[in-house]
Amino acid sequence: MTLAAQGAAPADAAGGVPTPAVSLRGVVRRMGRDTVLRGIDLDVAPGKLVVLRGSNGSGKTTLLRLLATRLRPHAGEARLFGHDLVRRADAARARVGLLGSSGGSYPVLTGRENLRLAAAIAGKGRGADEVDAALARVGLTHAADKLVRFYSSGMKKRLGLARQLLLDADLWLLDEPYAALDEEGKRLVDVCLTEARGRGRTVLLASHEQDRHDLAPDATLELVDGRVRLAAAAAAVVGP
Amino acid sequence: MSDLAAVLAIARKDLLQELRSKAATVATVFFTATTLLMMAFALGREQGVLERSAPGVLWVALVFAGVTAAAQSFQADLEDGALDQLLTYPVPRAAVYLGKMLATWAYLSVLGLLLAPIATTLYGAAVTGTAAVALLALTVVLGAFGFATIATLYAVLTANLQAREALLPVLMFPVVVPIVLAAVRATESLLGGAGGPVGDWLLLLLGFDLVYFVVCASLFHFVVDE
Repeated sequence: MTLAAQGAAPADAAGGVPTPAVSLRGVVRRMGRDTVLRGIDLDVAPGKLVVLRGSNGSGKTTLLRLLATRLRPHAGEARLFGHDLVRRADAARARVGLLGSSGGSYPVLTGRENLRLAAAIAGKGRGADEVDAALARVGLTHAADKLVRFYSSGMKKRLGLARQLLLDADLWLLDEPYAALDEEGKRLVDVCLTEARGRGRTVLLASHEQDRHDLAPDATLELVDGRVRLAAAAAAVVGP
Repeated sequence: MSDLAAVLAIARKDLLQELRSKAATVATVFFTATTLLMMAFALGREQGVLERSAPGVLWVALVFAGVTAAAQSFQADLEDGALDQLLTYPVPRAAVYLGKMLATWAYLSVLGLLLAPIATTLYGAAVTGTAAVALLALTVVLGAFGFATIATLYAVLTANLQAREALLPVLMFPVVVPIVLAAVRATESLLGGAGGPVGDWLLLLLGFDLVYFVVCASLFHFVVDE
């Protein structure tokens, strides 16, 4: 399945078809004895916003962790922006930002320290102003110096979103970004994701949330029996 | 340069976490104090026996404390999916390993440097001369380095296992024997025992440190990548 390049998606050096942000061919992944992904074929062009749906255990998290280079495919070929996920994992990882379902922050550090740490490790060289701006954007200025262990689940999710904003990777991967958030927080996620797409970022999110009116995805995919099928798409987005 | 910054950021994060939570500190200080006292009582009042046992007891206490510290360093990463997040940042796996290892090494070195004078005093073993004191400190730092290289790899290997507290020492101790042996012998030489020339043991310790460091740093990505 190809979610083709549209609009502002950059062409490659030869001026031809742009390199897909995500390119999967026959990707298989087992978890224990279960084959969770059974031959995923998918191309997502740069600058697209794609929603991934599926029942519990359908493989959404597995697929996102695979794209974030945390899991290796057992068969098939997986590329991010042309970089092989196994042979050139470091190069692929440099283009990815993951917001996992657990938030991924350190409970014994403050919100501000968590963001500074992420920027330092990722080599983004973000300054204090940018960290403060990211915290303000998600409404956590008042809790910036509070230890994350005292955050609510929703606040942890907002902190994860602030980290995504701060690092602003080329490919945003989000696993249940709406979970634990109040309605205002959910709208904030919608706005941030829409703006990320506007900056040319590719966004792939797994969610059970239905009908997010503030989000206009380019396509909605469904994972069924370990394979991807198209559930809905904006006009002229799906290629041959 | 950015990889070095990442290494230092990870090490600083681990030390800051320990400073705040004191999770490993409480366990290791209690354990080492108990070990030193219990062994002193068990070995009796004969001065010669206590003195000869000092190097072995010191390193046994340090090694067991090191297992606790290494296991703890990954526990904090497992909470809230932080390890998963850490491993998606665009830095080589070796940089993550090095950051974690540096923090464990620093922690164990400080613990060892505090423990050594307590153990020698309690067991009546004398370290005479500034050079001997400096060499004992070097032995502790080199021994802690070798131990930290192995402990970091095995701690992440067992981090997701239910029986990690039991498995970590079982898997690790056979591998760490050359480090402990060289460190005990070097300490023995410095405390006036029959350990032989201290320089030879320190060179052996340094050699094992380098070999283990290269091997463990190279193997780390096989362990963390599923």
